[in-house]
Amino acid sequence: MERCLEFKGIEKAFPGVRALQDINFRVKGGRVLALLGENGAGKSTLLKIMSGDLRADAGTITLNGREMNFSSPNDAIRAGISVIYQERQLVPAMSVAENIFPGIPPRGALGLVAGKQLKRQAQELIDKFGLSIDPAAPVGTLSVAYQQMVEIMKAYRRDSDVIAFDEPTAPLTDAEIAILFDLIRRLKEAGKIILYVSHRLSEIFQVTDEIVVLKDGRLVAEMKTSETGEQELIRAMVGRDIGDTYAGLNRNDKIGEVLLEVSHLETDVLRDVSFTLRRGEIVGFAGLVGAGRTEVARAIFGADPVSSGEIKIEGKPVRFKTPKDAIDAGVALCPEDRKEQGLVLFRSVRDNVTMPILAKVKRGLFLDNHAEDEITIDAVKRYAIKTPTVDKIVMELSGGNQQKVILGRWTSSKMTTKILILDEPTKGIDVGTKAEVYQMVCDFAGQGIGVIFISSELTEVVNISDTIVVMHGGRVTGQMTRQEATEEKVLALAMLD
Amino acid sequence: MKRLLRSKTVMLVYVSAVVVAVFFIMNHNYLSGDNIRGIMNNMSLSGTLGVGMAFLLMGGGIDLAAGAEGCFGAVLVALLMKTGMPWPVAMLLGLMYGAAAGALNAFLINGLNFMGFIATIAMSSVYNGFALVLTNNQNVAISNQAFWRVGSYALFGVFPMAFVILIGLIAVYGFILAKTRFGRCILLCGGNRMAARLAGVSPKKVTTILYMNCGALATLAGSVLAARMHNASPTAVATGALDAITAAVLGGVSFMGGGGSIGGLLIGLILLNTFNNGLIVVQLPSYWQIVSQGALLIIALCVDFFNERAKALALKSSSAKRAV
Repeated sequence: MERCLEFKGIEKAFPGVRALQDINFRVKGGRVLALLGENGAGKSTLLKIMSGDLRADAGTITLNGREMNFSSPNDAIRAGISVIYQERQLVPAMSVAENIFPGIPPRGALGLVAGKQLKRQAQELIDKFGLSIDPAAPVGTLSVAYQQMVEIMKAYRRDSDVIAFDEPTAPLTDAEIAILFDLIRRLKEAGKIILYVSHRLSEIFQVTDEIVVLKDGRLVAEMKTSETGEQELIRAMVGRDIGDTYAGLNRNDKIGEVLLEVSHLETDVLRDVSFTLRRGEIVGFAGLVGAGRTEVARAIFGADPVSSGEIKIEGKPVRFKTPKDAIDAGVALCPEDRKEQGLVLFRSVRDNVTMPILAKVKRGLFLDNHAEDEITIDAVKRYAIKTPTVDKIVMELSGGNQQKVILGRWTSSKMTTKILILDEPTKGIDVGTKAEVYQMVCDFAGQGIGVIFISSELTEVVNISDTIVVMHGGRVTGQMTRQEATEEKVLALAMLD
Repeated sequence: MKRLLRSKTVMLVYVSAVVVAVFFIMNHNYLSGDNIRGIMNNMSLSGTLGVGMAFLLMGGGIDLAAGAEGCFGAVLVALLMKTGMPWPVAMLLGLMYGAAAGALNAFLINGLNFMGFIATIAMSSVYNGFALVLTNNQNVAISNQAFWRVGSYALFGVFPMAFVILIGLIAVYGFILAKTRFGRCILLCGGNRMAARLAGVSPKKVTTILYMNCGALATLAGSVLAARMHNASPTAVATGALDAITAAVLGGVSFMGGGGSIGGLLIGLILLNTFNNGLIVVQLPSYWQIVSQGALLIIALCVDFFNERAKALALKSSSAKRAV
């Protein structure tokens, strides 16, 4: 019987986001289907539903005509679905053979694990794939690529009908990618159903037969790989109506002198990053996850060590050793992960707002609680933070209000913020509040603050920023003004191979 | 949240009252003047260590070597006095040693990124061993009569000196925690070290000071005990860290950092010491006392665990609410 995997009406919502809406498509055995889309388009969510990590709110997945109903990843594996993630799920200290046959090693006399038999069976499998791996070698000693091969053999050995790859080539070299593609072709010949998630367009044309494009949780295009081209795919990935959100913004048009000048900045992640930021300007950083945008922010802010290059603020060279030095010089950072890096969740709104200015709200030896309250109440009013009192624990506020607490921290009357770095400020925020955040960003620029706006949402970066810097693999791959920029251009630079 | 904390503190007061009542019924001598003075003396020992430990826990650290540091410190002070050094000078040098020991812990943890547990357990063994080597496991006799007064003096003829020191420490540290910038920074670093750093607080600086403080207070505790005993024992407060942690966690100091109050610590100390002393008064065999003391810490940790879990659940339900 020919294998067939079908998604019918899959729906999934997270707080504030509809991650997947009415997803319908099918793949047949012996075909490789590419799942394509921007960050946050819903690819990972779909994979997680298929692998039993998440439950869909509605819809069904059928494999070979049988409806699947998973309550755990183990159920999915038993039903014949294997997902190979970027993070390996292998035990580094155990041998290749033991990793291929986890939990159910062949047993010999007396019920003991039969070491020799285990090794022989693993060797047979390795030969079948034409690889040169020692089945007795600990997995931890293999290269990343070979670890991935072990994972693939593990999936094959389970006799999975469906094997899904999540960005499999990200850590691989070209030679290793060739081996991987060869392996995928073998799996295809064996009649398996293969899902392939990747940002890299060139690969998609090399290994896949069909393409499904997701955008904002919807399936926007379904096509045969042989009948499409890169341009069409990019258009499908970004094509959407740009709402009135951006047209209605009250923008700042008074861009002043150079505030921040970064030249040839290098860290262990960044390579030769240069750009300038002017007073009242919004410089947007676009790129895929892991492109190095957050690292640029952290390097400027003194949170990560800089290995070479120059940072000048108002013409003076600076090299901050700690975030405190950066804050004292007028640089502020709203980190990407509010809960992990931005807030002390079990402290009050006041404690979170006054964190960087404690030295300035002292009366003698003691903190001036009255002054602290005033500053916090001012922030609550300015940003319309929904909290009953300034003593409320920050954890009990909504995501949008938590974000405003951090903004309030950096813009209080005791701060002299010249450069404000916003790392994914709209992540996990509902659409209404997003528009509010956009206007705030423009207002900051209007006050003469230079704003660095990092976002993985293309539409947002392209429409908010005065200048857009595109990054890929730790390098700046392009820079353009808002007038020049289109989502297609930016995406092409962000996906540059 | 605040109400919850307050009600927890109130509950601890009730629990302490019940403990006292039960032991009093079992043996009326429990509330005799002599025994209460004994409780105060013991409480001063675990309390002086406890203040340092509680601050460290609130700031997200831990020092399992505190007891051993205290023993070694007391031995050091006693040996210095033996050379004829005046006691205030010996005491000062002892406190400096304690701070240095704390600074070393801080370096292992902040500088070399060792886990606090492991680093301080190892250091505990080092100080313990040093104290034994220096003394050949013999108590060091103290003949300095002026120093004896530190142990024997009683304010208004009632309150032992050690207890007066403890009350002084609690007052000063209570103010530091509630009213000063440093106190706020302790709670911010303990609550979320990364966020505190990105908001301009220096977690390394804060925890280094806390480790130094803990080491110095451990030496103070050990020395005051030595003054009362007229000799310094290399093993007298070896389990001091355990008592200090028990008192702090019983009193609502979060084992995970970021929460706690001096008032809570005080009640934790009262509960711990009335309990431990009660076991002696009702003549529970001493080995069983050891079992009971460990069990008390486990109970305290369970309460802390359920609190942390309640926090985690609150976190989940608050994000679920946002989904609607």
